[in-house]
Amino acid sequence: MLATRTALLHVFLFVPIAYLLAFVGFPIVYNVIMSVQEVNLGNIADLVRPFVGLDNYREVMADASFRKVFINSLVFVGVNVVAQVSIGLGLAMFFAQRFPGASFLRGLLLASWMLPALVVGALWKWMFATEYGVANFVLRALGLIGSPVHWLSDPAVALTSVTIANIWFGMPFSMILIAAALTSVPLELYEAAALDGAGATARFRYITLPAIRPALLAIACLVTIYTMRAFDLIFAMTQGGPLDASNVLPLLSYQFSFQQFQFGVGSAIGTFAFVIVFGVALVYVRTLKKEGGE
Amino acid sequence: MLKQLALALAGTVCFALTPASAQTKTVTLWHPFTLETDMIYGGIKSFNESQSEYKIDARIVPGPQIATELIKAIATGSVPDLVTLDNPVVASFSAQGTLTDLTDLVSKSTYIKPNVYFEGPWASGLWKSKIYAVPRDANTLALCYNADMFKAKGLDPNNPPKTWSELSAAAEKLKDPAKNVYGFGFSAVQGEEGVFQWLPFLHQAGGSVSKLNTPEAAEALKFWADMVKNGTASKDVINQRQYEVTNTFMAGNSAMVLCGPWELPRLQTDAKFDWKLALLPVKDGKNIKASALGGYDWVVPKGAQQVNGAFKFIEFMSNPKILNEGWATGRLAPRNDVVVQNPLWPQAYSIYREQLQSARARGPHPQWPDISKAIQTAMQEALTGTKPADQALAEAAKKIEPILAKTPL
Amino acid sequence: MKQPRFRRLGALPLAGIPHAVFATAFVLLYLFPIYWMFISGLKSTAEIFANPPTFVPRQPTLASFEYIFLRENVLRYLRNSLAIAIPVTVLTLLLGSMGAYAMSRLRGRLVDVALVLVLLLQVFPEALLATPMFIIFKSLGILNTFAAVILATASKTLSFALVILRPMFRQVPYELEEASFVDGCTPLQTFRLIVLPIMRVPLIVVGTLSFVQAYGQFVYAMTLMSQQELQPATVGIYSFVGAEYADWHRVMAFSSIFVLPILVLFLFLQRRIVAGLTAGALK
Repeated sequence: MLATRTALLHVFLFVPIAYLLAFVGFPIVYNVIMSVQEVNLGNIADLVRPFVGLDNYREVMADASFRKVFINSLVFVGVNVVAQVSIGLGLAMFFAQRFPGASFLRGLLLASWMLPALVVGALWKWMFATEYGVANFVLRALGLIGSPVHWLSDPAVALTSVTIANIWFGMPFSMILIAAALTSVPLELYEAAALDGAGATARFRYITLPAIRPALLAIACLVTIYTMRAFDLIFAMTQGGPLDASNVLPLLSYQFSFQQFQFGVGSAIGTFAFVIVFGVALVYVRTLKKEGGE
Repeated sequence: MLKQLALALAGTVCFALTPASAQTKTVTLWHPFTLETDMIYGGIKSFNESQSEYKIDARIVPGPQIATELIKAIATGSVPDLVTLDNPVVASFSAQGTLTDLTDLVSKSTYIKPNVYFEGPWASGLWKSKIYAVPRDANTLALCYNADMFKAKGLDPNNPPKTWSELSAAAEKLKDPAKNVYGFGFSAVQGEEGVFQWLPFLHQAGGSVSKLNTPEAAEALKFWADMVKNGTASKDVINQRQYEVTNTFMAGNSAMVLCGPWELPRLQTDAKFDWKLALLPVKDGKNIKASALGGYDWVVPKGAQQVNGAFKFIEFMSNPKILNEGWATGRLAPRNDVVVQNPLWPQAYSIYREQLQSARARGPHPQWPDISKAIQTAMQEALTGTKPADQALAEAAKKIEPILAKTPL
Repeated sequence: MKQPRFRRLGALPLAGIPHAVFATAFVLLYLFPIYWMFISGLKSTAEIFANPPTFVPRQPTLASFEYIFLRENVLRYLRNSLAIAIPVTVLTLLLGSMGAYAMSRLRGRLVDVALVLVLLLQVFPEALLATPMFIIFKSLGILNTFAAVILATASKTLSFALVILRPMFRQVPYELEEASFVDGCTPLQTFRLIVLPIMRVPLIVVGTLSFVQAYGQFVYAMTLMSQQELQPATVGIYSFVGAEYADWHRVMAFSSIFVLPILVLFLFLQRRIVAGLTAGALK
């Protein structure tokens, strides 16, 4: 029986992995190969193209905009992860209390995540418009700002604006996942802690947090990966501008490939992002092991 | 031999299975025109009805995606038979040998004669004196202004600004920060559209793309940067696409804007005030008339199955009768033998028609996207105040120089 | 018997009222952008740019919605979107539950490698993956079919499902499976009859999320299908937004029409999902 089970499990593992390797693995290899070739519109249909070693990568590293965009990506991803997980955790715990309509209201929040990213981008671009945008109007009416904020056209603000929009877009998803994780905390622990007279902070610190730490990590990792490839939303809001102030790696890679027609460089940037996430994934798996939960 | 035979057999079998293809061949067409009043819809309909040899099967591809989709199609060897491309991007495709050479077909054509086309649009389809594209339509920019605001501020609505100094004086007078009104609006977005709108000013100042590190070029960019700096134009111009600039005009947030003829249908239904058009102002003392040349070209990708059918449709669409309809959506004919009688928006028609005479093509250059990118960066730097205009342009010139050294404009 | 998870806010329902009020206010504020989208679609051209903006349309008009319905083949778009999203959801749940179950039960390096792989495969922007995908589907001969888009899109939702479901499957006690073996069930039967029913709620959650992702998919549909009649609503919206001219009230009207079905579906389903979650997924 055990042998059959192990065999079945291996089949179960193999089928989806094979599927992914076929439909995503090949495209990725295709891109990695392009990143060490000279690819232009003339030879893009060919299979054999001039091999240029790491030239594309050198070109990427030497590109001033790349360094800026790389840092942008780290900031964008970092802030998103911290904000989405912490706000999500706070809200999930708030909604986990019993009050009329709690579950209904919590579910409603997820509506923002239901919208296609392009629509979200268009919507926020409109709300962030300097003159007729609703954001500036409300902030002004509340007396929070004196002169209108140039949300999308001030290089110092643009990254913040797209980050706000992306947090709005993605946070409820993190929140629901955290809420699901919270349900796995054994109730007996809370009951015991209550008997011991532990306060809310202590319960959070010693029971909730340790219990859901693996889930939080998984969620943080997911947010990293999903924001790492954020594309549509920024594309619709700022196209990465002004001056790449709000640009991120996937968009830069797209711009090199399909606007500058430098496919090798575009692929090199994509591969670069790939390497970063490889690091994140390794850390993730190792942390899971250290947690002892694995 | 056997293989060939098998292939031929397979071919006949497929042929037999799809009876329609026995007589009617399908010509696949990609285009971005979403207004059903565009001439392409009437054109396809009457083309399909006029003969039975070919049938046009059209697919709308969103404007910004059309080059991307064509690249993917080329990369995978599954190209459509006919595509409409934004004209500055055509050279990138033709120079790399990804388009079908139409020179022979054009030489036999009755409608398509190179000498009846305006120079700029026709040049966009040429590469090494071969013809790779036929212009579908042409457009250019003019100054669009809110006559009601002119009256309210004591300006003569029948006497719009004719020079840069008149333009900035009027813009200064028209701006009204309390009411969120800017004097002048333009698109300086990081993209081809921004370059399209700024180039007229560069040319009017006596500058050129190949010489950006000159005082003339710097003056042109500074003219825009100063307007943003002193609040005559919105800081948002660096993030506004052309249609968004028109939006600010229609919303009464901009008293004057740069505006292409494709906006006319929208202005007509949606602008609730008296709007008028004027030729672009010229720079004081220079008096160089210049505007930008935009428009779409017909191209047949290399590897297209139905080259003849595609060209037949290009010819059909180049018939002055069809081109006449273009104006219904603000598309000008790219040739001098088409003059619309009793046009819609007569004042606009005469302005744009006249402006087209001084419209200059972007490129053609296979690396136009790179050149354009360098200019975009300089524009963004100058308009955000990150760098002074001359310095930003000098850096752009440094990027453009090696490109032009390889292939001159 | 349901138990309060954190703090029981009194036996009387009244005690929860301040929370409910605060929560309602928060949710309304949070969803303001969506409200803004809908009412913008209801505004006239003049009102859309009115300063100060109107928070309730003064003269609501359906003109923009009419415009979209007359111009765009909305029903066909929505039907195509569903024809893609539903099979993607089914495929994702099928392969996702298999893989996640295996990953939660197997030990050792193999699983680590698989997991890293799954995470890695999500990184490349779709725009770059679309070209090689096209080559695959061309050689399979299924370009211009829903199948191609479904297979491509499911590769994205599947990674996501595996990562989300794996820790959830871990929570199914092994004792249950042992008991089932003792009762004479085969491993496959155990999976089908014992494990999957327990995982019902997480599967609904992941299914809903996959559905939504598939519904919003654009790049693959755009690239892999060249026939207008097969394109989903996202392509319609992109054509509209990406055009040389787009009016905000019409864009917002189109977006509203597009998201309405998923929002309705979601409102209908979310009560089950969330109720299931609060009752505890594994009891």
